[in-house]
Amino acid sequence: MKVYDVIVIGAGVVGNSIAYHLSEQNSHDILVIDKSFPLAGTSGSTQAWVWVHTKTPSYYGELSFYSSQLYPYLERKIGDVEYKRTGGIAPFFTEADRERALKLAESQAKVGIDIKVLSREEVLEKEPAFSPNVVGATFSKIDGNVNPFRLLELYTRAAKNNGVEYSFYNAVIDLEKQSEGYLVHSQKGTFKTKKLVIAGGPWTKQIGKFMNLDIPVKLVRGQVLITEPLAPLLNYTIGGIRQATNGEVLIGYSMEEVGYNRRGTLDVIQETANMAISFVPALAHANIVRTFSGVRVVPNDGLPILGEIPGNKNLYLATMHSGITLSPIVGTLMSELITQGETSLPLDPYSISRFNRSRQEI
Amino acid sequence: MDKSVMICRCEEINIDEIETVLKLGAERFDDIKRITRCGMGPCQAKMCFKPVAQLISDYTGKSLSEIPPARARMPLRMTRMSVMASNQDSGSTVKAVFEDGDPDDK
Repeated sequence: MKVYDVIVIGAGVVGNSIAYHLSEQNSHDILVIDKSFPLAGTSGSTQAWVWVHTKTPSYYGELSFYSSQLYPYLERKIGDVEYKRTGGIAPFFTEADRERALKLAESQAKVGIDIKVLSREEVLEKEPAFSPNVVGATFSKIDGNVNPFRLLELYTRAAKNNGVEYSFYNAVIDLEKQSEGYLVHSQKGTFKTKKLVIAGGPWTKQIGKFMNLDIPVKLVRGQVLITEPLAPLLNYTIGGIRQATNGEVLIGYSMEEVGYNRRGTLDVIQETANMAISFVPALAHANIVRTFSGVRVVPNDGLPILGEIPGNKNLYLATMHSGITLSPIVGTLMSELITQGETSLPLDPYSISRFNRSRQEI
Repeated sequence: MDKSVMICRCEEINIDEIETVLKLGAERFDDIKRITRCGMGPCQAKMCFKPVAQLISDYTGKSLSEIPPARARMPLRMTRMSVMASNQDSGSTVKAVFEDGDPDDK
């Protein structure tokens, strides 16, 4: 049986980035295995903000910051993923929030994230279409967005060019630890690998169970509205709304815990339409072409889980809520960890062992 | 058929573009949609689903009955944002959608 150097479970924005970054060294036999096809899950149902400035604690903001810095470099390597560093505006509507905004700016400044707290006039100057009901906003030049469809297609093509093999429509049905390496039992047969990466997004918990691991993640659903292509209306990525390159406006920021249910629901669509109009009144006249809904994985404490799983040599885990934002840095650091055993930024804060520690403390 | 034949009229996607995604391993309409934008335009795959399903069938050898339909999502046809946001009114929103009539008539 062929023995792979690395098998990655999951061809989404996290697994594909790890596979691509590993493949840059051209020295590994790599297989990516996925129960369906890139973009069929979370990576294809996102607004795809590359969002940094409100991410806390500050060390998590810093990781997001570095990742956004890697996007232009990634784009030079794999092609045009329509990454736009538009700058990001997170509006607030009460004076009480201004205090919180100032505190955020102060703490993020310590890790190099420059946040300006804007007055109403400054928000409207930057974004004339925004509602005058806004009280203020936090603003950072570092935020932006990307086209997730282009990103995933180009990761896959670049990895394939570097010799990565893919097996789509092939769910993993069991994992088996061997004296050296792992066996991956799938619908289409069994594969043997020296190193194994779990990057299954919302299926992470089930995959972990194959190894008797309880990976502390939950699922949340997000629903988004898409308008017809509009003339340029928004200049920045706004917390909740962005305008894509082709003119479509994407709106939505909802979180519901409903398992794998990916249906759209009228109540959330209505609330989202209300939000659209209250943020940007001109959107009242826009046509909605489609809504969509996606299931995301969220670690129980909200922060990424990255690294080797203690007690399971050569078994790695990469799971997080903000996969689009973190994709370039996670691919870079995980490939460093897998090939060299150490990383250029410390991954300790993101180890799965933090959950055991907190349990013992309780 | 000539590879330049337009399959998705809304987004102007031809057979050649669809086949490049089939070569990547796509097996469903929605796989092709996300990468090419075929079916993402105003008609929401009402025009292009069947010819794309035929291309998938030709390429993969699956029968047409094995190819799942494009995922349908609300609001099924273009609807004004102000109509969707009308739940402040006492009437049901479904009723409001129909009462508003065709947005193109305004």
